[in-house]
Amino acid sequence: MNCETSEIKEGIKFHSINTNNFKTNLYALFLAIPLKRENITIDALLTAILRRGSKTMPSQEIISKKLEEMYGASFDCGIEKSGDNHVIKFYLEALSEEFLPQKEELTRKSIDILFDIVFQPLIENESFKEEYITGEKENLKQIIEGKIDNKGKYALDRCIEEMFKNEPYGLYKYGYVEDIDKITGKDLYKRYQELINTCKIDIFCSGTTEKNKMIEIIQENEKIKRLQPRKPDYIINNEKTDARKPEQENIVEDHMQVTQGKLVLGLDIDMSEENARFATSVYNAILGGGANSKLFQNVREKESLAYTAGSNYNRQKNCIFVRCGIEIENYEKALSTTKQQLEDMKQGDFTEKDIENAKNLIIESVKSITAEQDTEITYYYGQELAGTNITIKEYEERINNINKEQIVEVANKVNIHTIYFLRD
Amino acid sequence: MKIIESSRIKEKAYIETLENGLTVIIIPKEKANKKYIIWGTHFGSIDNRFIMPKTKEEVFIPDGVAHFLEHKMFEQKDGTNSLDTLMALGIDANAYTTNDHTAYLFECTNNFYEGLDELMDYVQNPYFTDQNVEKEKGIIGQEIKMYDDDPGWQLYMNAMDCMYKENPIKIDIAGSVESISKITPDVLYKCYNTFYNPSNMVMVACGDFEPENLLEEIKKRLLPRESQGEIRRIYPEVENKINKPYKEVEMEVSTPIFAVGFKDTDLLKENRKEIVKKHIAIEIILNLLIGKSSDLYKELYESGDLLAEPDLDYEFSDEYAHILISGQSKNPQKIQQKIQEKIEEFEKGLNKENFDRIKKKIYGDYVIEYNSIGDIARMFLADKMKQINSFDYIEEYDTVTKEYTEEILKNVFKKENMILSVVKGNETK
Repeated sequence: MNCETSEIKEGIKFHSINTNNFKTNLYALFLAIPLKRENITIDALLTAILRRGSKTMPSQEIISKKLEEMYGASFDCGIEKSGDNHVIKFYLEALSEEFLPQKEELTRKSIDILFDIVFQPLIENESFKEEYITGEKENLKQIIEGKIDNKGKYALDRCIEEMFKNEPYGLYKYGYVEDIDKITGKDLYKRYQELINTCKIDIFCSGTTEKNKMIEIIQENEKIKRLQPRKPDYIINNEKTDARKPEQENIVEDHMQVTQGKLVLGLDIDMSEENARFATSVYNAILGGGANSKLFQNVREKESLAYTAGSNYNRQKNCIFVRCGIEIENYEKALSTTKQQLEDMKQGDFTEKDIENAKNLIIESVKSITAEQDTEITYYYGQELAGTNITIKEYEERINNINKEQIVEVANKVNIHTIYFLRD
Repeated sequence: MKIIESSRIKEKAYIETLENGLTVIIIPKEKANKKYIIWGTHFGSIDNRFIMPKTKEEVFIPDGVAHFLEHKMFEQKDGTNSLDTLMALGIDANAYTTNDHTAYLFECTNNFYEGLDELMDYVQNPYFTDQNVEKEKGIIGQEIKMYDDDPGWQLYMNAMDCMYKENPIKIDIAGSVESISKITPDVLYKCYNTFYNPSNMVMVACGDFEPENLLEEIKKRLLPRESQGEIRRIYPEVENKINKPYKEVEMEVSTPIFAVGFKDTDLLKENRKEIVKKHIAIEIILNLLIGKSSDLYKELYESGDLLAEPDLDYEFSDEYAHILISGQSKNPQKIQQKIQEKIEEFEKGLNKENFDRIKKKIYGDYVIEYNSIGDIARMFLADKMKQINSFDYIEEYDTVTKEYTEEILKNVFKKENMILSVVKGNETK
């Protein structure tokens, strides 16, 4: 079961994942553009406005009613950073036709609704509906201000912001409150046209509908017919990133009303060959990937310093984030215990058993990709943005081939870039 | 094994109650590449007072014991930790504690029977010492503090405080730093011996299994246990009134969060199918009231009083039942007021077209639950703890009429049972 890709037009691709493990078909439409400070807020606002209504379904209420009639189909959209790209995501999930109490052609309907929202917005006098603009500006402000609500996530976002200061990846995906008021309806309309005519477009379908049938439905769609071919403007995620080796550790502390402190370490990996990313995955799993990892064992189990202690590898940006939720007064101890783990990794102080455990953990999660439709779509979209075509099977093999020497080599290229602490 | 099925969604479940009292439910999923198994005991945070079946001793335990026990079950006599052992096999393992049950689970693509060895070994072999119990207090203390900083959790706990004066649903699942300080190995063993008896447990598996074979594999791994009589749980009497209509606290949040609740005092203890029907009707009402396509949601979204559709939830057992509508708003009082007005309007009769449409939506929601083997297994376990057959949600669906739903509306969404819990930003800062 793989993903088959076909080009609809230059810059517009369709990816088919044929599976009958689910009761639903999931359709996804992704728009990718480079992350830029000047566009970040307007793009987030635009996404929110598109969601409000289209030319043929001019309000959310009408869209929702249509979806409910389709046995509770659901529509969702969101905005993410993927490497140095800003990705706008639209999803529609609907029951597979075989589980309907009565026969209905839900696939064609689903594609039509999805394309309508994205490619045929509600335009009035070369602008979007004023009421939607004002409303979504307010909502966006609240979303941006709301980033303080989840303390763990906030601490991670702040660490990323500090580590990638003045770089695209340091930007906040929803943009900035100070930009919002200045944005006019005309700006939005202009930006929409520019975006829709230049961005990279990828359409996915995971489910029982067969590939050729899907291509036919897509190509017959009037809204797709009207789109121009394009040389898409986006950043290929696999390209070499510059070394970010800091002169000295960048230490940042924020204060908030919290009872638990959040410690986040941003680690840079000064190595960018493609295969090093597989070795780094294994390195990360040994360091902080799960209950057997050094961080979990030492920071949580041995020292009883934390409830959460682990690390995540950001493949696109080739960096690792260590995250611990700790008693505030234990800051020094948690930091030194963490540093000790990094040092031990450099010295090769881990066993073949640790490597095997780490590989098992990664392989298990790789094999689980096909168990969820959106996870599988995200995996193949990641491949698409990286310009690679590694199947799940190959991914597994490349992880299996990593040896201790390669992991130690990675360990010695790991540098602490930023130490962030959120405290009272 | 007994087979129950839903022809509509083409799913079957195989059920067997073994001699020692353990119930096993297997939902086969051909060609699924993952396997999921979950073993639950009917012991949750609300079970804080009970009579031990053998000794007839009445026990009153500190808050947070079920959860504490869950943490401690992984620790083995030989110094290993079962979570690590499972992880080392590439198996994703976990455990959780709810109001009414504690569950141990794992999922994997490989090494399933090695995983089953470990799961059934650690759940059947507790090992608690003064030292390992003390150590856990530090870790759980941090977990409690994490929840102290979680506005959503505080909102929920305060909503419970509004609805109930004395009901164990008010107990924080993890307990408090103070209550867990009283936990000793003796308390843990007493609870273990009472609640981890097979007759109080249910095991559910979902994946590419041949049910009879899996059942044999499970039987092979069971240790002999003496059967025990029924565990008598002592709960305070069900209260028919709310405790207080409003509670507000200040925390660091950007926009206030709210929960509008309705205490449901009409507990249907007897008929399980009736409970399912009622649950479906309540979900329909909640969607009609403030779901995505409702007039009220449209109004509140457009006025900027709601940012997103609120979460809609109906939580119930034999001891409590309530509805929660929660979300984020600058103006929680207005939301409550509007909900109240809408209910008064609904009491005059529901719109037929809207009712039919929402009913279709609810059908899809139930079918979608069968997309993930983990969701299926957890659902069958949680429902079984309430003596509910999960397929009944699909099968009873047709019997929920507009008239029936209107009746439920009148019985459950009562003004005098309405509460509001709010967490808002710290104004002095």
